[in-house]
Amino acid sequence: MGLDRLSLGLVIPLVLACAACGHGGRPKLLLHGEVAAEFRPVPGSVISIARALRGTTLGRRFDLCRPPSVAFDALVVERIGVVGESLTFADRRGRTLHSCDGGIDPAGERSPPWCGGSAGLLFDGRLLDPRLDILCRDSTGRPLAYAWVEPVAGAHWIAVDQGAYAEIYEVIATMPVRIATAREIELARARARFDVTQYDVQGRALVRATVEASVAG
Amino acid sequence: MRVFLTACVAGLVLAMAAGAQAYHRFWINCNYDSPAFVTTMTRDAAQDYANAARYEGYQWGGGCWNYDDFDSYPYDPPGDPSTHGEGGDCSGLTFKTWRESEDTWRDGRYLWRALRNAHGPYDARAFKYGAGAPNHVVSKAGAGVMDAFASDSHIGMVFFRSLYGGDQIVEAKCESCGTNIFFRTYRTPSSYGGVGRWGWTG
Repeated sequence: MGLDRLSLGLVIPLVLACAACGHGGRPKLLLHGEVAAEFRPVPGSVISIARALRGTTLGRRFDLCRPPSVAFDALVVERIGVVGESLTFADRRGRTLHSCDGGIDPAGERSPPWCGGSAGLLFDGRLLDPRLDILCRDSTGRPLAYAWVEPVAGAHWIAVDQGAYAEIYEVIATMPVRIATAREIELARARARFDVTQYDVQGRALVRATVEASVAG
Repeated sequence: MRVFLTACVAGLVLAMAAGAQAYHRFWINCNYDSPAFVTTMTRDAAQDYANAARYEGYQWGGGCWNYDDFDSYPYDPPGDPSTHGEGGDCSGLTFKTWRESEDTWRDGRYLWRALRNAHGPYDARAFKYGAGAPNHVVSKAGAGVMDAFASDSHIGMVFFRSLYGGDQIVEAKCESCGTNIFFRTYRTPSSYGGVGRWGWTG
């Protein structure tokens, strides 16, 4: 009995330590080496960078993927997460929402940072579907999936389950939030699944849902 | 009591079956077989393939149809891929007609059967900018038979060129208008660009 207790006393801390230090741990850094902050209401989470800028401030970074129907000085929401980065902006007439999605183009036709993008028609300011993009890969060759999520009323933070951690996106500039993942992507069926939780500004969960997105249109 | 329980179980099974049918709808007839690698791809054959998809309906995010000239699930709500109805959408029809691969770096030719549920990785915007190894941007003035015109939200293929300011376009247009050949003036507006497929053999 004494030996059993001794073994358990050694094994349990060892298991816990391995769980914390293994590959499934919370990433310390974002895509470009920025130190990742944690959203306190969701332990083990990572907050992605979100900022609203004018296209002219982004310069060539924006111009590389700017469609002709979008003004140089358009309001752009730039997001940088753990595996992906994106720009979201609307055209001059506010009828179409565009994105530039970051990663590596497996066809080798587009230079980083952008490898894909989406466009979605806005109906009274809202999208009909998430406009899934699965054209990009990360630096290790894994497929990336990008999609927009419409925040519900009162939502200020959107968490996406990335397996070992949750990635948190701040809702800014009253635009749909471009989220990214490298998991639960079915390339052969051109679809991806995102487990999403929306929080209010105090971190109270408002909605938990699975977004099933397909390449369409 | 035994009869009552048996009836309950039978009712439950039937209710579950009805639910499954409602969810799967037309896609229950579809398959996910591998495409056939082929060495040829003529514009004539592509016309035949797209023409055969006429009247088969439209499904947002879809790419599966039969050849009965009838949309099995018309009037689905627009913009919802989960309705699983019959037909392709605009980019799905183009992807299958152009015999493309699901891997964007492959530019070979892959024959997709009608009931193979395939949409491909491209939406209309991706086609518009020539994304993927098999696709490229062409001048609108030079776009010919089975080249396409694409905008940020739609793509249609040239079925016949016309001299009267427009073209006969084969396209999966919308839930309410289905897949058909329409007279369109996509060559004119700046929102549309020309796009083509590399690798035609005739």
